[in-house]
Order: sequence, then C-alpha cells, then structure tokens
Amino acid sequence: MKTLPVSKAVFGTAVVIFLMAPLFAILPLAFTDSIFLNYPIPGFSFRWFHELFTANAWRWSILNSLVIGCGTTILATVLGTIAALGLRGNSASLFFSFFRTAFLLPMVVPAVVLGVGMQLMFAQYGLANTYVGVIIAHTVIAIPFVVVNVTAALQGIDRRLENAAASLGASPAVVLQQVTLPLAMPGIVSGAVFAFATSLDEVVLTLFVAGPNQRTVARQMFSTIRENISPAIAAAAFLFIVGTVVIAGLVLLAQKKTQRA
Amino acid sequence: MSDAFIHFDKVSKAFGIVTVVDNLDLSIGRGEFVSMLGPSGSGKTTLLMMLAGFENPTSGAISVGGKRVDALPPHKRNMGVVFQNYALFPHMSVADNVAFPLKMRGASRSEIVERVTKALDMVQLSAFHERKPIQLSGGQQQRVALARALVFEPEVVLMDEPLGALDKKLREQMQMDIRDIHHRLGLTIVFVTHDQTEALTMSDRIAIFNHGKIEQIGRPSEIYDRPKTQFVAEFIGETNLLGGKVASSSNGVLNVILDGGQPISVASATTQEPGKHVKVSVRPERIELDSPGDGQNELKVRVTDIVYHGDHLQVLVDSGHRSFVVKATRKAVAPQVGQEIIASFSPEQCWIVS
Amino acid sequence: MTRQPRLSKRITSFALIAPLALFLAFFFVAPLVTMMKTAVSDPVASIALPTVSAALDGWDREGAPPVEAQQALANDIRNVSNDELFGDLVRRLNSAKSGFRTLMTKTRNAVIEDANLNDLVSVDRRWSDPGFWVAVQDAAGASLTDRNLLAAVDLQRDANGDIIDAPEGTSANRTTLFRTMIMAGIVTLCCIAVGLPFAMVAASTTGWKRQLLLGAVLLPLWTSLLVRTAAWYIILQDNGLINLTLQTLGLTNGPVPLIFNRLGVVIAMTHVLLPFMVLPIFSVLIGIPKNLMPAAASLGAHPIRAFLLVLLPLSLRGVVSGALLVFMSALGYYITPALIGGAKDQMISSVIAYYATGAANWGMAGALGIVLLAATMILYVVYLRLSSEEVRT
Repeated sequence: MKTLPVSKAVFGTAVVIFLMAPLFAILPLAFTDSIFLNYPIPGFSFRWFHELFTANAWRWSILNSLVIGCGTTILATVLGTIAALGLRGNSASLFFSFFRTAFLLPMVVPAVVLGVGMQLMFAQYGLANTYVGVIIAHTVIAIPFVVVNVTAALQGIDRRLENAAASLGASPAVVLQQVTLPLAMPGIVSGAVFAFATSLDEVVLTLFVAGPNQRTVARQMFSTIRENISPAIAAAAFLFIVGTVVIAGLVLLAQKKTQRA
Repeated sequence: MSDAFIHFDKVSKAFGIVTVVDNLDLSIGRGEFVSMLGPSGSGKTTLLMMLAGFENPTSGAISVGGKRVDALPPHKRNMGVVFQNYALFPHMSVADNVAFPLKMRGASRSEIVERVTKALDMVQLSAFHERKPIQLSGGQQQRVALARALVFEPEVVLMDEPLGALDKKLREQMQMDIRDIHHRLGLTIVFVTHDQTEALTMSDRIAIFNHGKIEQIGRPSEIYDRPKTQFVAEFIGETNLLGGKVASSSNGVLNVILDGGQPISVASATTQEPGKHVKVSVRPERIELDSPGDGQNELKVRVTDIVYHGDHLQVLVDSGHRSFVVKATRKAVAPQVGQEIIASFSPEQCWIVS
Repeated sequence: MTRQPRLSKRITSFALIAPLALFLAFFFVAPLVTMMKTAVSDPVASIALPTVSAALDGWDREGAPPVEAQQALANDIRNVSNDELFGDLVRRLNSAKSGFRTLMTKTRNAVIEDANLNDLVSVDRRWSDPGFWVAVQDAAGASLTDRNLLAAVDLQRDANGDIIDAPEGTSANRTTLFRTMIMAGIVTLCCIAVGLPFAMVAASTTGWKRQLLLGAVLLPLWTSLLVRTAAWYIILQDNGLINLTLQTLGLTNGPVPLIFNRLGVVIAMTHVLLPFMVLPIFSVLIGIPKNLMPAAASLGAHPIRAFLLVLLPLSLRGVVSGALLVFMSALGYYITPALIGGAKDQMISSVIAYYATGAANWGMAGALGIVLLAATMILYVVYLRLSSEEVRT
C-alpha cells in the first residue's frame, strides 16, 4: 500500500503539469524578439507589447474589447441582478422555476447556433455590425453567470435580517438598499467580473454579429492564430493571464473581506 | 381581560393544506409579559410572526391598542423584534445596528448619538460600539439585538426564542436582565420559547400551544400546579398520570378507584359522572414516602430503582399495577431498592386532567 | 383582503424578472426561432416569380406547359431587377435540378433583350423538358420546405416526393455529424480517464495540496479560451515544444504531426473541458463520508474491492454529470477544432459557420443548427433530470 501515495503524487503532478503547462509555455514568448512564435527564444524584447499598443489593428481591438466589455458588464449585471431578486423566494413555484431554468439556457445553446440566428435577426433590425448589437449578443451569454452568482449570494442571506430591518421601520425599498444589496454585493461583483470575462473571451458570436469596426481582442487573436501567427498573440495572452490572476485575486480578497466583516 | 392591548380574534394561518394556527383567540394586557410555550410546529412562532407582520393571517383579525394591524406592513407596526440568532446586520457596526431604527424614523444626528449611547450603556456594551457583530460573543450579540429592539422605545417587544443559542449561565443572566428591563420600562413583551423554565421564571402569563391552539393560558403557578389537560401536565414539568374510574363525587372531592383497585380522593371544583374514566395527575415532588398523614391518599408500593440527582433522589416505585416516579428530598432517610413502602399525597396535590 | 400581500409579492417578483425575460425573448429566443424558420422557409422562388405559379395551375406536369405559363415566367424573369435575388433564385432552382444555372442566365439575357419575347423554348430547348417546369412550379409554389432539414442528414426527395439518400459524394453532413459524435465521445472518455482519478486524488488530500490541485483545475477555467488554444498551438506545432524536445533527445528525426489533426484537437479539447469533468466528480466525492472506506475495510474488504464496491459506485453520479456536460459542450465546439484541427477534423459547428459566413446558405446553416440544438437540448434535459434527482435524494 506504500506505493499508492507515490503513484497518487505522480499522477496528480502529471495532471497539474498538463493543466498548467500551456499557460506557462506561452508566457515567455511574449518577450521574444523573433518574428516566429516558437522556441528557443533568440533574445528578449518588448517589441510585441509595443506592437500590441501601436499597431492599429491591435490598438483598436483593445479599445473595442473594453467598450464592449463594459457595456456588456453593465447591461448583464443590471438585468441579471434584478431578475435574481425576482426569482428569490419563489423556488416552490413552477412558473418561476421555468424562468430560472430558461435564464441559464444561453450557457447551454452552442454559440455557433446562436450566432447564426443572431446574424439573421440582427440584419433585419439594423443591429448587425453595430456596437449595440455586439453588446447585446455578449450580454445574452453573460447573463447566466450573473444570475447564478447573484442567486447564490441572495440564498446566503438570512431572511431574518430583512425581517429585522422591516421591524425596525425600514420600508421594502430601504431594506433592499440598506440590507439586501450590500449583503449580496460579493455575488453581484463576481457576476459582473464573469460577465466582463465572458465578453472579453467571446469569439463565435462576435464572428457572426460584429463588423470590421467592432473587432475585439479575442476576434483579433482568433484571426492571428488562423492567418498570420505572430508573437503579438503571446503578448496579448500574457496580458490576459496576468489580468486573470489579478482580477481573481481581487475577487477572492473582496469576498474574504466581506466574509470577515 | 377587559383592557386587552394586543388582541387576536379568531386568527388562523394555513400554509397550503396545513393549518398552523387554528382559529385562535388571545388577549394580552398592556405591560404584560406573556410567554408562548409549546413544542416546535405548535404555531407559537407563526403567531409571533403574524403579530410582527412577516406573515399574514389566513383569516381573523389582530389589533393593537384598539387598531387593526393585520393589513399594516411590518415597518409600520412599530414593534421591537428580537430574533432567534439575533439577525444583526453583519455589514454594519454595533452602533450602526442600534442606530438603524432611529435613522428610519428620521431622528437627528445628535439624537441618534445620544440614544444609541444610552441604549448601549443599558446593555453594558458602550465599549464595543465600533465593532462588527461577528467580533462579539453570542451573549454580546444578543445584548446588541436587545438594544436595537428597544432603542426606538416601542410599546411592544416581540422575542422569538432569543436566548436559545446561549449557554446555561449566560441564559440565566439574560433572563434576569430582560425581566429587569420589562419592569423598568413597562414594556409589553411577547416571548416565544420552548424552554419551560424560562417561561416559568420570566412571565406574567404563559400560553401553552399545541397543534395551533392554546391548550391553557394562565399564571406560571396555575400552569404548573393546575394543568387542565394531560398535554399541559406532561409538557410542563414531570408528572405521574394514574388512570381510574370515578366512584362518587361530593363537596368538591372526587372518589376515584385507580385501575389497580386502590381508592383515592381528588380535590376537584367540577363534578364528574360516576363510572367515568379519568386521569389523575400527581407531580413527583408532591408524593411523600413513608410518612402517611391524616386524610392523605396512601398507596402501597415497592421501590424498583433509585437514581441519584445530587439535590434529590428520583425513586421509581411500583404499586403492583403501574409504576410511577417520586422525587424524594435528601432530608428523608433514603429508601432501599426492593423495600415495601407507603407513598402518600394529599387530595389537594392531585387533580383530574382531561 | 388578507390574501393581497402574497399576491402583490408575486406581482413584484414577476415585474422584476420581466425585463430579463423580455430581453432574452427578443435576443435569445427570437434569433433561434429566426434560424429555425430560415431552415424551413423557401420564399426565394415565390418572391422572384410571383405570377408563374398561378399560370401553371391545372398543368398535368407531364406534357408541355401552356403558353400563358411561358409568358408569365418570361415576365417574371424580366422583372427580377435585383441581381442578388436572381442569384438566390438560380441557386434555389439549381439545387432542385442541375442545369438551371446556365439556363436561367441565358433566358434572362434573352428576355431582357427582347421585351416581347414570350416563347421560351425558342431561347433554349431545355424549356420543352417538363422536368425544368416541375422544378419551377415546386419552387414557386412552396413557402415551407424540408429540403434543408433532409439535406442536413444527407437525404433528399426524388421526383415522386419520396425521401431517398442523397447521391454519394454530393454532401458529407452525415459524415460530419458522425465525426462530431465520435470526437465528442473520445474527448469525454479522455476527460473521464484523467478527471476521475484526478478528482479522487484531490478529494483524498487536504490543505495546500488540495488547494493546488483544485487551483490547477480552476485557473485554466478562468483563462481565456483563445489563450489556451494559442498555447496548445505553440506546444503542438511542428517546431513546437514537444517536437523540439523529441528531436533534441534524438527520439525522432522529423517532426511528429501533432497539430492540424485529430490528436491535437483531442488533446486541446480535453484540456479545455477537463474542469467540467473534475468539478462535478469532486463535489460528489467530498460529499461522501470520510469514514466509508475505513468502514468497508473494517468489514473485511480489501482496499481495491472497497474502492470498486464503495467509492466508485458513489462517484458514478458525478461521472455521469461530468460526462454529459463535457459531451454536450464538445458537440458544439468551434474555436479549438477551427484553430488546431485540420480540414478533416472539422466538426458540425465549423460546417454551420461555413454555410452561414462562407456560402451564405442560411437554410443549410439553420437546418444543421437545428440538429445541433436538438442534440444539445436533449443532453441538457437529461443532465437537469439527473441533477434534480441529486437534490431530491
């Protein structure tokens, strides 16, 4: 039986390497001074970061991603939070259970299928190739993350706290503003972060509904890999990974803080 | 109760097909401390929640001070509520928690500071006003909850098992404190508990709940010494129930033949049909062992077991037909297991329960 | 009166979910419905040829069509001023019977040149063939069609309207669907093979080791899909890390082909979808009481028997949930096969994307979309069933 812990450790390590290796493999290439995206790296430079922020295609795509990401985050967070408040406390009702399930469906439907439908419909309403159209498309698939996160946060709130506030003289609106929303804030924030991340990483819908003017970073990365693979993509990936780690850290920190408070 | 301050008039509450409170009438006087006691699911908490406005009665009326309140939302009822597990706002400091009801009522800054300070002084927590609730012990949190429910000087304070989560020592201390505050401020308190000792020590009156109805309501001594029903007798304290048949009844005394054949006398204000099956309740501490006196009921019993309880002995005896429990003080000579002995109790110390 | 507060609470709840419900109805349900409608609607011919259908009424579909029909068709063709519409019409007719492409172009030029020309047979002898007229009549009279849906699974209708297999080599949709299933299945099996033991290892450790193992699962989940795909590109390409290592060690002479083939797609997709396998199994495993295995051992079970008889059956529910999630996601995958796979590894999503963006054949894109959507929804319903049972037990 002594061998079991050893094989366990070996297997665990192997899988961790399988999971992490790609992320670590791409990071150093962000600093290559070669024009090829492969090892060994001949020398270090920041030329690809420079490229990222000066080349028009990349610069615009970063700007587009930020605009579309913020729009998506706001729209998805507002709609999702309000809906989660409405779903709360109605778990026994079949009517509301239907909506609870329906709100999660955009996560399930294959993006390509949704993309085809959106392309057809958006063209009819003049939404094709517009920022509004892209933001709406991203919001649709970001919604489930907000609903899931906020619903979980609301479930964690003791109803008695809101009853207590009401008994102390707070009207329903004040209870919402002073008690419910502050206590649900960690869930709302993580929902918003997920929404932003979803928008940032979304390619398929963007492919279908965005025009050349709404090219996002993810879209730009997609065509870079497909057409003219260059280390700029490693630089972009570097920013993505660092951004992910920083945001994940911030979210964890915020949640720890609210837990302790 | 002619000067009823809080009045429940034929109040019922059903969740789906389950009736939790069943056509219930209850009046509570101004300044009274009434405990609602009963097993879980007996409707006591639901009744409190209806009074606070968190639940709506399915039928019936609730009035406070002569005004119907059952259509009022909770925030307009002006009652202090102390919750089980305190329900302190975790994202606010102690002072902000206590200031909350004052802010809701639009009190001025200076007034808020003054009254919060006073309220926290009252519960001896002035030093903790900047802390978050989670940094306080259970007892301290409980006192903050109390200060918060009292700071806006409501006339009625509702408490839902407020001491359930505290350990025994702290609970007894808080019982004294709440009693003290009740007397000092002249509050009307409705107190839900499942702890009978708590109800007996604190209340002016106790209402015993069972299956959505009040089985009996009265002063603690009435409830304990003259329970009307078998449920109340068994729920409050320990009791021996002896089955028997009424032989005759005269002058407030019933003669009952126990199922084992022994005749006893029971003091009773009501008369009973001869031949009727009755249950006679006798508290274990009302039974004396081996010291028969005049006019006492006497039963010949054999000691089957003795359990040592420190301040008293619990003696199990067998009358040949049934066994029952006697609480023997340590003063008497301790009986021995197997000993034949006379158990006696006076007709006034036993009563018929329905 | 006392009932009112509960009702008003319901109304408030409903008012709160209404904005999102409307938003999704407009921008989620409506696009899907539009897609489905496009798949079965066939309006091109009836729009482009508005009068010929009536003129052909009463024709026996065998002999030469009446003169009025020829006139109507000539007029209709003359009146198609929109080149795009004409292109769609030709494509539509050509898909029913080949030969229309040249025939229609020729006819159009002729009728525009001579505004009084009504005898189409004089333009092209093919107009005397009833087969072309049957195609015109069918196309102009129909507004709904199952043509796309049938074509999505390589079926078509013959002249009698019976459903038959499409001729060999004309379409490969069935092959693609089959390949998609196989690929999703392989990826699911790989995820089980790696994910189940990994979840068991993670559940059996504690403290920082468990944190590390779970972190390794969660970090990729949080990282951009494109970043991960790009990373695999770097590792798998012909002069990528793996081939570099193999050649440096002298194990191979030339590069081993890892990218633009099925192996690369399976590796990359397993990496991407592994978290969806590990997390459900892990959550089931940590719900199993810790003392179950010692209990089995104390009852005399050998550790391997105890594992097979106790832990494995209990973790099976997690495996099934995870497998459904992975399979469902893999079915609709687009990005990874598109970037890592070769031309022969394209899955149904790529074909849909090709029809939609490349060929502008919305009907086919929609029909294949319906097939993919239906498969996904069936799997999702099974998954929901399973997870709601989990809650109940």
